Amino acid sequence: MKKFIEITDLTKVFVSGNEEIHAFGPANISINSGEFVSVLGPSGCGKSTLMLMIAGLLDSTSGKVEFESKLLKEPKTDIGIMFQENTLVPWRTIKANIELQLELRGLKVKDYQDQIYNILKSVSLEDFADRYSNELSGGMQQRAAFCQTMIHDPKIILLDEPLGKLDAMTREKIRADFQKLWMVKKPTVIFVTHSIEEAVQLSSRVILITPRPGKIDREIKIDLPYPRDLNVKRSKKFINYLTSIHEVFHKYGVI
Amino acid sequence: MQKFFKWVASGWMLVLFFVGFFLFWEYSIPFFEIPRYILPAPSEIVAKGSADLDKLIYYTGVTGLETVLGYFIAIVLGLGFGIAISFSSILRRTLYPFFVSIEMTPKIAFAPLFISWFGFGLMPKVIIVVLVCFFPIVLNAILAFNSLSNELTLFYKSTGANTLITFFKIRLPAALPQCFVGFKYAAINATVGATIAEFIGSDQGLGFYISIVTGNMRPDLAFAGIFFLTCLGLSVFGFVTMMEKILIPWHISMKRINT
Repeated sequence: MKKFIEITDLTKVFVSGNEEIHAFGPANISINSGEFVSVLGPSGCGKSTLMLMIAGLLDSTSGKVEFESKLLKEPKTDIGIMFQENTLVPWRTIKANIELQLELRGLKVKDYQDQIYNILKSVSLEDFADRYSNELSGGMQQRAAFCQTMIHDPKIILLDEPLGKLDAMTREKIRADFQKLWMVKKPTVIFVTHSIEEAVQLSSRVILITPRPGKIDREIKIDLPYPRDLNVKRSKKFINYLTSIHEVFHKYGVI
Repeated sequence: MQKFFKWVASGWMLVLFFVGFFLFWEYSIPFFEIPRYILPAPSEIVAKGSADLDKLIYYTGVTGLETVLGYFIAIVLGLGFGIAISFSSILRRTLYPFFVSIEMTPKIAFAPLFISWFGFGLMPKVIIVVLVCFFPIVLNAILAFNSLSNELTLFYKSTGANTLITFFKIRLPAALPQCFVGFKYAAINATVGATIAEFIGSDQGLGFYISIVTGNMRPDLAFAGIFFLTCLGLSVFGFVTMMEKILIPWHISMKRINT
């Protein structure tokens, strides 16, 4: 029985001029439906490359990605995707930016008015619906981008270091938002990050990627109860997970 | 409110500067004993110019028509080619380098040729205006339509939206600020092109007027012509700036916050 997402011998080599840069792989990964998987590795290890290949937004050099046994050939559209740089456009208000996701998908904006209000409320942005993104702080922008990513209720969510540019407090807040949403709707999440703590706090499984060319060093199942609040983060088990991951990257000389 | 006072204050500085400039000009003529056939005083320019007002207004219309017509044709062509080149890899490898190399040629050098091909009428002037306006518009449009952020590109691809929807909802609005850089640059070129075309060969228009009166040792009238030409140039530029405010208010407001 194949898993929800099945990745086989996936490799990416970038060619620029005569030079070949081996960016990622080969790697094999299986992901269950409803799993929260973090892809953790040092910068430049090809983890974003992996995510884009899973989304069908970047062609692989060899290997394949399958969703429910169907081979991926073109960009997947039943997903929500979020990057470190947000995809809010400056000519639309926050609300209109969330509607952009719906408009591009040909969904009726009118049917989603309640959902838009609710999701904005869930990240405490309901009073900023009619503001432009450049009037908001970085953290608020990223929370708005989160709403934009989630509004069409995607079954698969791909996050590429969405909290990378934020301060520690804002990160903590948005992590809680992610967790809350995941616990309620149980989408399949692939979360690319270089923060060990973030990976352990959020995911049910962490995939450790080696420095470039990125390969899978090991997978660690995080066996901690949700919601993972401050109490869980203070627990010995949580700290043990952090330590063991630290040791792996220490071995590679990245920390 | 504070902003308003600031604006008035900065406005007054400019007015004062102009008043000072013209006063200096007016009184330095007798002071340095500059002959009036070299440089006339502003008061004389106003007096002699108003005697020729009918002609000046009519010629402003002539030059204005050439400028505006050529400018709008250049916008239509420039945007059209710009978009086509941005979306077609074949055109990007053929037309684009061709345009870049022509950009290096001083377009105004073609003016005598156009006059000899198309005569003294409206058409050669419009063509020259199109020529001097087209390149800044097309090159900025290409830049504009090719500089969509990587994240936005990936985002719209992940929605499965078709090319047309993507164009109108993302690519076009994202490109407009850079397009306006080209429009503004071209607006400055437009009156220059029309004037030089008239210098070279015409029987009406402000460029024609200035070259004739200068030949007749009438710098006072030449300055009157230059004044009208300046007004024409400012109007075209003002129109583009107004369109920018109407079409991309979000961009203007962004600039205001950042500065």
